[in-house]
Amino acid sequence: MTHAEYKEQLAAYALDALDAAEARALDAHLAACPECRAELAELRAAAATLAHASAPVEPAPDTRARLLAQLKATPQTPRPAADAPNGAPGATMTPPEAVMTPPEAVQPAAVTSPSAAQPVAGANPAANVLPFARRGLTRARTLAVLGTLAASVTIAALAVAALLYTRDRRLQVELTRAGQRLHETQQTLATVRAERDLLAAPDAHTTELAGTAAARAAHARLTYDEHTGRALFVAAGLPAPPPGKAYQLWFLADGRPLPGGVFTTDAAGHAELREQIPPQGRHAQGFAVTLEPQAGATAPTGQMYLKS
Amino acid sequence: MAPADSAQPSDTDLLHAVARGDEPALATLYDRYSAILLGLLLRILHDRQEAEDVLQDVFVQVWRRAADFDEARGRGFTWLVTLARSRAIDRLRALDARTRATQAAQREVRDEPSDASDDVLHSEQRAVVLAALARLPEEQRRALLLAYYEGLTQSEIAARLNQPLGTIKTRMRSGLIKLRELLREQFLSAGLGL
Repeated sequence: MTHAEYKEQLAAYALDALDAAEARALDAHLAACPECRAELAELRAAAATLAHASAPVEPAPDTRARLLAQLKATPQTPRPAADAPNGAPGATMTPPEAVMTPPEAVQPAAVTSPSAAQPVAGANPAANVLPFARRGLTRARTLAVLGTLAASVTIAALAVAALLYTRDRRLQVELTRAGQRLHETQQTLATVRAERDLLAAPDAHTTELAGTAAARAAHARLTYDEHTGRALFVAAGLPAPPPGKAYQLWFLADGRPLPGGVFTTDAAGHAELREQIPPQGRHAQGFAVTLEPQAGATAPTGQMYLKS
Repeated sequence: MAPADSAQPSDTDLLHAVARGDEPALATLYDRYSAILLGLLLRILHDRQEAEDVLQDVFVQVWRRAADFDEARGRGFTWLVTLARSRAIDRLRALDARTRATQAAQREVRDEPSDASDDVLHSEQRAVVLAALARLPEEQRRALLLAYYEGLTQSEIAARLNQPLGTIKTRMRSGLIKLRELLREQFLSAGLGL
């Protein structure tokens, strides 16, 4: 196909309306044609505005709280190779987890393997498909040519394959862990910077929360920026929540409690929560913490542990 | 919800902050776009619970993949909407044909006016897009909306409308290019960015 013919397909591509084979052929052309990439970006922007053709719908209030709670358990993906275009999710329709190795899936092997830290210099992390390919090839050739020797040769090949596989897997685990440690460090740094900025913000307010009869030793401090809604909540002296339960922060505005973030404590009874207060909650007259189901609640149901 | 003003961080700034693990930045993006995205997801999926689930999943994906966003290749809004629509179409295509037929039959009933959010900037943008769509010839608009909201390919649209494939291709291309031109004019005159 010619450049002009590919260019004619860009609108359909921007709407994900090409058949899979057409889309693949166009992908190959796009990789080599900056003019078509620029045109596609504009058509995608136009297609995205079609989202405005449907009327907006406010999500249920607890969707936000559930989302923010889920983030704590969700690792982020570091910056990938530069050739992944912004439009990739729409273009390929491939759910991202299908093409990524979730770090949590590999992690348990690291914990149970005592020799995971052993150096494995020279192995190629991209070669983790090799053992399976080699096993098939060796077996086929052995059966055809060597007849009765097949069994012993196959066993040897399987042993080598298993060895390679184990070694490669260890390397992969190591890489994943190193990537995670780097990522955690970056996250910590970003968090510390954000907290410093918040504490120095001109619009920052600080409110103290005192323990109720349920936890007399508990106290907490909430610092928030009235303009942006960013907030940092630090608590101490709270008892560990029972299984299936967690603490939840509330903003009392116009006599009504608005749900805030959900958190648990560490072994020493400390807790920290980075929060984004919704606009309605930024002029709250008070703050409170109650014990709620782990997933959070839309209105307080449990006992109050802290209040301002 | 407040309209965006100069003191509000841009979508690009927020996405970069999310890529650095900034949860409040993600919450800000959620407050800014969750109503628009849920409207889109509901129109594609026709099921409130399903749409809310995908919405949550979309923002988890934004959290995981914010490092993929590159402002040199497009706006943050385009990235978010493309991601959301793609997740919804994936879900739609995973449903079996019978479910889809049942949903199509219920569609008119379910397309009721919703509890719309009245964000000033967004309703202004919405008005501009609706006006531009209204100026497209009916058959072009229909082809665009069938592709966008039902996830149909050109061949499927041709079969659905019982039209030659070449005709559908032309309608879709002319429709989207015309929409882009109309939006350019109108966004420029309204002082909004496209």
